[in-house]
Amino acid sequence: MNDGLKLNLGGREFDSRLIMGTGKFASTEIMIDAIRASGTQLVTVALRRFNRERPSDDLLGPLLKLGVTLVPNTSGARNSSEAVRAAMLGRELSGSPFVKVEIHPNPHHLMPDPIETYEACRELAKHGFIVLPYMPADPVLAKRLEDVGCAAVMPLGSAIGTGHGLSTAEMVRLIIADSGIPVIVDAGLRAPSEAAAAMEMGCSAVLVNSAIAAAGHPAEMAAAFAMAVKTGLAARRAGLMSRSDHAVATSPLTSFLAGA
Amino acid sequence: MNITINGTLQDLGDAGTLGQLLKCLDINPERVAVMVNDRIIPRAERDGSVLKEGDRVEILTFMGGG
Amino acid sequence: MPGEIPAFLDPSQWLPVALNASPADVRRALNSSQPAEADFAALLSNSAGDLLEELALRAQELTRRHFGRTLSLYIPLYLSDYCSGGCVYCGFAADRKQTRHKLEPDEMVAELDAIKAMGFSEVLLLTGERTPHADLDFLVRAVETAAQRFAAVTVEAFPMQAEDYRRLAQAGAVGVTIYQETYEPVQYENMHRWGPKRDYANRVETPARVLEGGMRTVGLGALLGLSDPLFDSLSLYRHAMHLRRRFWQAGVSISFPRVCAQEGGYNPPFPVDDSMLARIIFAFRICMPDVPLVLSTRETPKFRDGMAGVGINKMSIASRTTVGGYKAPVESPDGQFHVNDDRDVESFCAMLKGKGLEPVFKNWDKVYRD
Repeated sequence: MNDGLKLNLGGREFDSRLIMGTGKFASTEIMIDAIRASGTQLVTVALRRFNRERPSDDLLGPLLKLGVTLVPNTSGARNSSEAVRAAMLGRELSGSPFVKVEIHPNPHHLMPDPIETYEACRELAKHGFIVLPYMPADPVLAKRLEDVGCAAVMPLGSAIGTGHGLSTAEMVRLIIADSGIPVIVDAGLRAPSEAAAAMEMGCSAVLVNSAIAAAGHPAEMAAAFAMAVKTGLAARRAGLMSRSDHAVATSPLTSFLAGA
Repeated sequence: MNITINGTLQDLGDAGTLGQLLKCLDINPERVAVMVNDRIIPRAERDGSVLKEGDRVEILTFMGGG
Repeated sequence: MPGEIPAFLDPSQWLPVALNASPADVRRALNSSQPAEADFAALLSNSAGDLLEELALRAQELTRRHFGRTLSLYIPLYLSDYCSGGCVYCGFAADRKQTRHKLEPDEMVAELDAIKAMGFSEVLLLTGERTPHADLDFLVRAVETAAQRFAAVTVEAFPMQAEDYRRLAQAGAVGVTIYQETYEPVQYENMHRWGPKRDYANRVETPARVLEGGMRTVGLGALLGLSDPLFDSLSLYRHAMHLRRRFWQAGVSISFPRVCAQEGGYNPPFPVDDSMLARIIFAFRICMPDVPLVLSTRETPKFRDGMAGVGINKMSIASRTTVGGYKAPVESPDGQFHVNDDRDVESFCAMLKGKGLEPVFKNWDKVYRD
């Protein structure tokens, strides 16, 4: 588990535990402002065909100026070989060794395909990528992905865009308990309090996109998420006082030890 | 010479290299990744990559994504 | 030159917590839904000792949640008491001059059949440190014979290489138990006067090799009393956590052997009384709720009855710790292998029923396994 002072992904260290997605923003300017306000050092991007009609849509230039590390995702890929190709393109374009493996064949709920994801990760790890798989919150799959060389696992909190928060909390706890690599909750977080809760639970970082992009004031929301992530981490480090379970004693269990 | 660029068939007159094509289309080579017939052509190899009749070229860049 | 405790085991940073934890620290550990290492250390403290009933309640609750109201039962079979070792605390060290025995193939069959007739489904096969009389081939043959009769065969013998454990697994063993005795390197060397067992680093790496060899479960333990029990308990906890993370498909179980005073022999420098042993067991149960915790017949009936279902979910019963001993009963030896609870299966099961616990002999079948 990643208990160090910095977030360590594949040997690279980061101060910020908030990773941001760049989709769904009303404009590139708003997105850049939000990224700046969040203090994030890692942002995901997706691939698309270059459109000569709209050269001002260039994302790469402004992002490189911010100095953030790019994490190209494989969104759009329906299977592992498409994802591998997308990752190669992403690396070629960005020069970044990071890749977020994201394979969701169903266009409605956008749930990640565990089998194609596993295959893609295994292949990409061999090619020296720093692999961050977006995955169902499955503890066994998480260990499988760790075994094939992923740098972290990214279990979903709830389905992309639904904002249902940490509906997978119980599973995420199990993943955290057994994981030797950072656990990053991705997708479904709606409010900064949920990001704080994820950090308190033991996540090493969170990835937030929709909740920031769709907010009334994205830059302010990004800053709020950043604070929440710092707060959650600080709380965990300070040693949270847990909820109290009250047990009722009928007859003493330890009387057999008296006078031992 | 007919070449498909990003899914659209185009007549490009004389043959040339991939590097020349990008220049001709006024595309900043640092901002795109390119595939020819499903093979990624790294930046360093574009000037040496000669296009042929019927080639399928994909020119890709980043957009916002989660 | 004594070995060095590897970083993944070294409990030094937690010893102060185990020494100084407050009642508030203990309560936090008791109430945590996911106790961490600091909580384990707090549960070992004297403050925890003052709150033993609360620890017991939490241990019982968690035992029930993860194991139900059941107690798993198994039986040990000593295959041989030949031993090349020189453990200070053991009456079977190579320099003790009693006659040694080992089971011949037909005796092995007779003993295993006798055990099976008692109703057992899980048997633990034991030998001492490696000797030509009881070497790997001997063990493999024993495992094969036992596997024909028992759903679960486990082994407690001498450290081997991963390929050797693989042979045992292929022969039908599902688990290997190997006690570190003590994680404290200087005392470890003091206790093991000669032979391969003297090698601390090799011993400490053995559980990993067990799992590398494809064994389903590894049983860990420290011989409580040899060193500071806080040190050994913390190291044991770290060992278990490390192995679980590294071998995520394998199981870990923990036993709690205590050094017994020997007649005219070894007296442990850090004697652990019943309350302390209970505290340690409760701490493990609370912080590792799904790990099997095992008690042997070395403990008294009173202690075993009290701990059944309260932290402890698995016990041996009706044990014979002489070589064989089931076909034709023999007196229990003195010292480290003395049997303090010599109740038969029926009496023990009646006790369990009285406590609301169902005795379980068989947990699973291997019919469809590779």
